[in-house]
Amino acid sequence: MSHESMTILLAEDDDGHAQLIERNLKRAGFVNRVVRARDGQETLDIVRTGREGLPPSSQFLLLLDINMPRIDGVEVLRQLKADPRTARIPVIMLTTTDDPREVERCYQYGCSVYITKPVRYEDFVEALTRLGMFLEIVKLPSAPNGDRPTP
Amino acid sequence: MRIPPERLAEILDVAEDGIVTVDSQHQIVLFNRGATKIFGYDPAEVLGKSLDVLIPLASRGVHRGHVEQFARGPVVSRTMGERRTVTGRRKDGTEFPVEITISKLIVEGEILLTAIIRDAEDRKKYEDALLRLNQDLEERVRARTAELAERNLQLTQKTEENEMFVYSVSHDLRSPLVNLEGFSEELRIVVRDLQRLLQDERIPGDLREQLDALFAGGVRESIDFIRTAVGRLSRIIDALLRLSRAGRVVYQTQVLNVGAIARRVVDAMRKTADEKKVEVMIGELPPAWGDPTAVEQVFANLIGNALNYLDTSRPGRVEVGALPDGSPSGSHTYFVRDNGIGIPEAYQSKLFRALQRLHPDKAPGEGIGLAIVRRVLERLGGTIRVESVVGEGTTFYFTLPAGSQ
Ligand SMILES: Nc1ncnc2c1ncn2[C@@H]1O[C@H](COP(=O)(O)OP(=O)(O)O)[C@@H](O)[C@H]1O
Ligand SMILES: [Mg+2]
Repeated sequence: MSHESMTILLAEDDDGHAQLIERNLKRAGFVNRVVRARDGQETLDIVRTGREGLPPSSQFLLLLDINMPRIDGVEVLRQLKADPRTARIPVIMLTTTDDPREVERCYQYGCSVYITKPVRYEDFVEALTRLGMFLEIVKLPSAPNGDRPTP
Repeated sequence: MRIPPERLAEILDVAEDGIVTVDSQHQIVLFNRGATKIFGYDPAEVLGKSLDVLIPLASRGVHRGHVEQFARGPVVSRTMGERRTVTGRRKDGTEFPVEITISKLIVEGEILLTAIIRDAEDRKKYEDALLRLNQDLEERVRARTAELAERNLQLTQKTEENEMFVYSVSHDLRSPLVNLEGFSEELRIVVRDLQRLLQDERIPGDLREQLDALFAGGVRESIDFIRTAVGRLSRIIDALLRLSRAGRVVYQTQVLNVGAIARRVVDAMRKTADEKKVEVMIGELPPAWGDPTAVEQVFANLIGNALNYLDTSRPGRVEVGALPDGSPSGSHTYFVRDNGIGIPEAYQSKLFRALQRLHPDKAPGEGIGLAIVRRVLERLGGTIRVESVVGEGTTFYFTLPAGSQ
């Protein structure tokens, strides 16, 4: 199965964080479409009922911030994993702290990977490698430019 | 001189103490003036009567039993009511506490029992007053203890509130900090790329030189300062988060193999210890009662510090041990000792406060370790203190509740 058509759903309420994440996704070689949700409810809505130009049947990779207003990331994770229709969506949790209890709670609910902000593009590469998706999703840019990852 | 026998009776008679003698039928055969003073009977009224007239109705049976037991027994004299007060009964029917010593004498085959009796009412009064005083004191101690317990609870709640506050503030600070960290990194990358673009030969040499100087001197240096400051801020916030977490994390208390915990910590630091050529010794450590992760944290911080703050002019030695029993009951005292640079007396009181560092150049850190140690021990029901001599070394002593053995 190819993941090129996969949509990255970025659930993040902080504009700065969202912008930083998108830049680093690009640096990591992502060419996929990125859709932004600004809180937990919007995230659930998009996954469940879709959005213009984005049917609910779309394949998602969810980058999920924990600290969001209204419904937080952990609750979104719990609801998605509890519903067989959405349980298989791969989820990468994003957080500002490495609180061990928080990490454990997320793993209990079934999150795949956990990244502490600020997110460097290496973290994405590693997270996707752990999800077994890296080679399928990434197209390394052919021409050198400023956004290319430097080791 | 010798006292003539007939005067002996007089001496008995004038004695201040009451003296009463009964025969084996419990009939009174001697009743001195002292006894008259105490009981209100004239000798003539009681001689030949049963001893029972001097004893309250209720205790006659018991008393008779005691007396007969004593008459048959091997003991020649004994005090009754030394601790307990025996009750006597006056002629007017009033009852009063007495202190009695009885002794037995066999005269012409008959057992005579003699009681020396002292009115214990005054003594009783003092005793009662003392008792009341004691009760009063106990009451006050109880009240004060309750008050202290209440205060302690309030303090604990206060501490927990503070920790909650520190936790949420630090947590909230992380979010803008992520932007600072992230975007200063973005700036660094952009400047790096701009400097690369400057190498393009289409750019005139003198312009390139000027731009290069601006980027290197002005922009990059500024960014580096920001990044250093942000990094420091980030570490401080993380340290505060760790401290508040140490106060909030739920403990799973159990009997702990403290020796195994200390060895685990030392093993994890083995590489550092070997590099610094430090000899680490672990003595016999008795089991404690606590949370394994928390106790490991205590050892990790103390042993980590011992390795960090060594004096490089002599071979390092770190010793982990426990004091022989004799610590306050129910707890053990453990210690971590080093022969490092030591801590001046004046600084020792600040040691356990958050963000305090005395030797910032010796090792990286935020000055939060000992604050965490203190908080953890407080929660586990232990205490910590330090003994240190500058230039000789430092010993941290801490207690933990003993694990059952
Ligand atoms: N064993 C020791 N010997 C000498 N100084 C010590 C020792 N342990 C702690 N200190 C001093 O106390 C300070 C606070 O220690 P700590 O709270 O562990 O924070 P940190 O190690 O991060 O500085 C240290 O910076 C150091 O100056
Ligand atoms: Mg330390």
